Amino acid sequence: MNPCSNNNSGGGGGGGGGGSANNDNGSGAGNQCTVREQDRFMPIANVIRIMRKVLPTHAKISDDAKETIQECVSEYISFITSEANERCQREQRKTITAEDVLWAMSKLGFDDYVEPLSVYLQRYREHEGDHRGSIRGEPIQLKRPAAVASEGGVDHSPAVGVYGLPQLQAAYHFPATEPHHHHHQQQQHQHFGFYGASATGGEMGGYYMGVYGDPETGSSQELVDNFDLYAHYK
Amino acid sequence: MRQAGIYSGMMWGKKPCPHSLPLSRIKKIMKKSGEDVKMISCEAPLVFAKACELFIQQLTVRSYKVSVQANKRTLQKDDIITAVKATDVFDFLMDMVSSASVAGDCMKPTRERTYGFMLKE
Repeated sequence: MNPCSNNNSGGGGGGGGGGSANNDNGSGAGNQCTVREQDRFMPIANVIRIMRKVLPTHAKISDDAKETIQECVSEYISFITSEANERCQREQRKTITAEDVLWAMSKLGFDDYVEPLSVYLQRYREHEGDHRGSIRGEPIQLKRPAAVASEGGVDHSPAVGVYGLPQLQAAYHFPATEPHHHHHQQQQHQHFGFYGASATGGEMGGYYMGVYGDPETGSSQELVDNFDLYAHYK
Repeated sequence: MRQAGIYSGMMWGKKPCPHSLPLSRIKKIMKKSGEDVKMISCEAPLVFAKACELFIQQLTVRSYKVSVQANKRTLQKDDIITAVKATDVFDFLMDMVSSASVAGDCMKPTRERTYGFMLKE
């Protein structure tokens, strides 16, 4: 890794606005490294947009808070990736997979994230599988296919083996057990989307009014402690 | 630019949702996390994009609760520091948020800890 390399590749893969104004805090003077700040952090506009989804409309965010959150996100990615990478090395694998990432999150205390992320990933794979199938004109099978020989064991992903297509990535599977898997399949149309599913500001207002404490009902410490990742599933 | 329709759009089988965070940037940060990070499956940044949303929102909610308790409407860095100290899973952020560094310094947080006293002279 060469920290002084000047990466000029466009950073905006997948809809995020890359390279927005991150350099306006004036503390870059005197650095011998030329790595672009844009490469180290998520675009601040995206970060702010995500924050605003859980803040009341009247809330303001100071500039140093925005930057702090930006830094925290990068630190989070590095933190999880290091753990996932260690696991890959222990198991003598070269590719960090989604399953490694989820495993690392669970190990490092973010196990609350694992289930919604698994649902998200499953849904994404099914969607990608549908898309691929329609292009190739093959029938779409939603049933779980026969077990495919893979690195870690039985692969629960419908995207593997449904069309008999060779998988380019290392095989991955979730530690979920079968009933767990079916549970998500059945409910996938009922709850999807974490915070983006809210259609109106009013709904969001209702959500975080409880989170930050309704003056009438008193403290909502429990709500914050149990930070409800499935808020829109109810 | 509303995002409300994105996830529900995906739910009904429309085109895949554009992610809130750029996958290529996530991949870069993953690669920088260690010298020996070799290959990354295409789904790993995808999982991170969603995970980072959850992370940002969890941290924001906890931090803003601190602001509210102090009768403020503005979420400030000190509120984030308080929230980080109060939450076990955020322990890995302790050194980074507590240091006097600001975004823009290209040195890694761990190096800032080591050389911070020199930079401040």
